[in-house]
Amino acid sequence: MYGWVWRRLPGSRPVKLVASLVLLVAVLALLFLVVFPWLGPRLPFDHNTVGGAIRPLRVASPVDPHARELRFGTFRRVSS
Amino acid sequence: MPSISPRATVRTVGEILLTLGVIVLLFVAYELWWTGRVTRHDQSALVHTLERQWAHGENPAAVAAHPQLGTAIAILRIPRLGRNYRFAIVQGTSTADLIKGPGHYPGTALPGQVGNFAVAGHRTTYLHPFFDINELKSGDAIVIETGTTWFTYRVENVPGTSARYQEIVSPTDLSVAYPVPDQPNPSAVPRLAVLTLTSCNPRYSAAQRIVIHAVLVARQPVSAGRPPALAGSAVT
Repeated sequence: MYGWVWRRLPGSRPVKLVASLVLLVAVLALLFLVVFPWLGPRLPFDHNTVGGAIRPLRVASPVDPHARELRFGTFRRVSS
Repeated sequence: MPSISPRATVRTVGEILLTLGVIVLLFVAYELWWTGRVTRHDQSALVHTLERQWAHGENPAAVAAHPQLGTAIAILRIPRLGRNYRFAIVQGTSTADLIKGPGHYPGTALPGQVGNFAVAGHRTTYLHPFFDINELKSGDAIVIETGTTWFTYRVENVPGTSARYQEIVSPTDLSVAYPVPDQPNPSAVPRLAVLTLTSCNPRYSAAQRIVIHAVLVARQPVSAGRPPALAGSAVT
């Protein structure tokens, strides 16, 4: 795979070397800026909220009289 | 096209597997280190914005019951977790909000208000603000600074409820964030101003939530200077 890429890069040896470094940086940037940020929240490593996974929740509160209903999620129902 | 030899096939498969292994290691580095860089950048901008708002007499934690999602509303200090421990608390607990820092559950009380000021934060990634919250002991101070007021909460079992100061609960247990924590009725009328922190537990897992409760014990205007609980903390 890597040999295949190397053979397809144009130019002399130093040019190929620079081109492969550019390719490497591009792949790392794709991983760190696009793939990993997308993947991270989808893996069960660091979820910190109660009630509805990672979405905001609304609970009854004296400061928020309109938020009497618990809107979503898998929390247990209160029967009262 | 020449036919592909078994040797070349084995080599290519080996290269792909090694590459995947390296990508997994890179992902670990991303989670534990790179995410912290992102949050550190966000935090300094948030603190800066908040201090400028305060200097102009604006106080996001007091004027609106619904501060704008993703904006800073207050500053959190926990002396037990270090003299430099300081995080801007943002409004909201979505993935995007919690990347910036500890997030206030929308709809729960604001700092100092009677009810439950509930805050979620990362345990192991994104600068892991709550990495060590299991170290908090009954009696420890949690200090919240808003534009006008210092609020000092004390970690303790919440009087009149079954809520212990530290709890390990199921991820679905919303009752820890109710106005009266751990009360089965979310509409129960609160009498105390409670602070609740939630994070994942154990570290590096999302299997449970660790919860810390604290009760408001003192408040003083910012003009009165820093509260006694911050005596050993850095002045920042």
